[in-house]
Amino acid sequence: MDTAANKILVVEDDLHLAEGMAENMRAEGYVTDTAYDGKQGFERAVENDYDLVVLDVMLPHMDGFAVCRALREKGKNTPVLFLTARGDPQDRVRGLEAGGDDYLTKPFHLDEFLLRVRAILRRWEWYKRSVAQPASGDALRFAGNEVNFRTFQAQSWDGSVHTLTEKEAMILKVLSEHADAVVTRDDLLEKAWGYEVYPSTRTVDNFILRLRKIFERDPHNPVHFLTVRGVGYRFIPEGGAA
Amino acid sequence: MHALRIDTNRVLHLTIIFLLVFSVVQVVWWLIDHRAYTNSVTQEIKTLYGYEMLAAQKMAAAGIPAAEIVKVFPHAEVGEAGVALSPGALMELEDIQERKDNQYTWESGFFLLVQALAIAVLWRGLRGEAEIRRKQDSFLAMVSHQFKTPIASLQLSLETMVMRQLSPERFQQLSRRMLDDLQRMQSMVSKILDSARLDRGRMTLNRERLFLAEAVRHVTSSLEETAKRDNIHFEVAVPADLEIMADPMAVDGVLRNLIENALAAMVPTKGGTLSIDAARKGGEMTLHVRDTGVGFAPNAGPKLFERFYRLDAGGGNAAGTGLGLYIVQRFMHFENGDVTAHSDGPGKGATFTVTWPATESAA
Repeated sequence: MDTAANKILVVEDDLHLAEGMAENMRAEGYVTDTAYDGKQGFERAVENDYDLVVLDVMLPHMDGFAVCRALREKGKNTPVLFLTARGDPQDRVRGLEAGGDDYLTKPFHLDEFLLRVRAILRRWEWYKRSVAQPASGDALRFAGNEVNFRTFQAQSWDGSVHTLTEKEAMILKVLSEHADAVVTRDDLLEKAWGYEVYPSTRTVDNFILRLRKIFERDPHNPVHFLTVRGVGYRFIPEGGAA
Repeated sequence: MHALRIDTNRVLHLTIIFLLVFSVVQVVWWLIDHRAYTNSVTQEIKTLYGYEMLAAQKMAAAGIPAAEIVKVFPHAEVGEAGVALSPGALMELEDIQERKDNQYTWESGFFLLVQALAIAVLWRGLRGEAEIRRKQDSFLAMVSHQFKTPIASLQLSLETMVMRQLSPERFQQLSRRMLDDLQRMQSMVSKILDSARLDRGRMTLNRERLFLAEAVRHVTSSLEETAKRDNIHFEVAVPADLEIMADPMAVDGVLRNLIENALAAMVPTKGGTLSIDAARKGGEMTLHVRDTGVGFAPNAGPKLFERFYRLDAGGGNAAGTGLGLYIVQRFMHFENGDVTAHSDGPGKGATFTVTWPATESAA
């Protein structure tokens, strides 16, 4: 992976922090851009193709969550790393719901920050490569459901259209690449989150529940997204009994 | 530990309120019970009087003289129609019952009033405490939030120094940045202390005669470097002989916070002009601080002075605490003066006007 090509946007209203982060990322070989408020950040992120947006939550004009949501609505799937001074778990959940990838609380350690940036970029790189493969490619069709991994658009069996978050798309991608086989929770965590065990396995369960709600005819009696108790999950495109 | 102590206090309060409510019920019960008892005693005595009269009638029938009968039964009246209960005896009985009833009603009424007052006072205290705690919590959350950004910046700079081989120029730059962050935190601490002190309501001002131009120069000279870096130009037009009777610390607080606020407003506009002028009109001293910065919606003026109100200014420097203008307003309140803010709209700059009242010695 050639990190030199990676372009990163930093949206942070504190001049010192924005410059400090940008300088460090440049030292790592990334190309950086900075924006000092939500509006400016949103505009830059829409106009350019960044590989990552580092997004502060408390921003003038438009807060970070709103920026992320607006980007997703515009069909921009650029990964987002949220930065916030508030450390409560509620914010973490809101960040993930808004379509964020990861979440870092101020003050943070430089090496952890860089580690997370690297992890997100690596995952993104894997995803892009995987989607670009001619065989499995960028689409998934099963039991009347259709998923476009490039646009994150999904049409479910009942005709309703959904926009998947990046995490949901990644989890679905991992599962579909190992169709009919058991994928352990740790494998999913490693692929979709990228390092150690940062979210609880409960978090993965919540994503699986979301996928069931979109794609299963009866989400309470799933036939495609099966839980293998104590181990992980199994994706069966044709449908099977639990 | 802290939360536990407050909770114990709360439990104590609630227990006493419960006991008081319980004793209210007891007093009411006591009142009803005593009235019923008095009533039953009266009735019993009336019945006894009836038996007495029966006995007296028997004695009269047996031919015992009236004088003898009245000696044994003092409530009896022997007339031509026979023996009857004297009306005075019944009246006296009812009189006693009414007196007792009144006594019980007044006594328990007094107790109930005292108890109701005590419950009201305790309840108010409990609610007031909850309100204070809520305010403290939000203040604390706000303050710790404000500190996290400069701390994050300091940590980032330091870790960069530790992690990387830096050129002397970069090292210099990062050191300056850290000093700046420290300065920011220091000014936050003093603002928080100032506002806490002003909040407590009472403050003794040591008014003395001072030259306004000198006070302004003192503040501007300490902020000159920051202003130059942000491309801001000072224009000060305060007559050198203008004297004011005011507390030097309050004047410094007012000027510093107004000027810092104006400087912050011009960071997003990449610089501008800060002009300060003052004049005396009919004893009153008026000072203007004008900036060419971000401005605000014309109707937002009064809101600016609320605690923790922060303008969605945008741009490079959002390091404010939301306390500066609040402090100005509080200081001017103690000085019996006034401060107002005016802007023609976003992007059109702002003017802050401070007025000190006329004082006999300075007029």
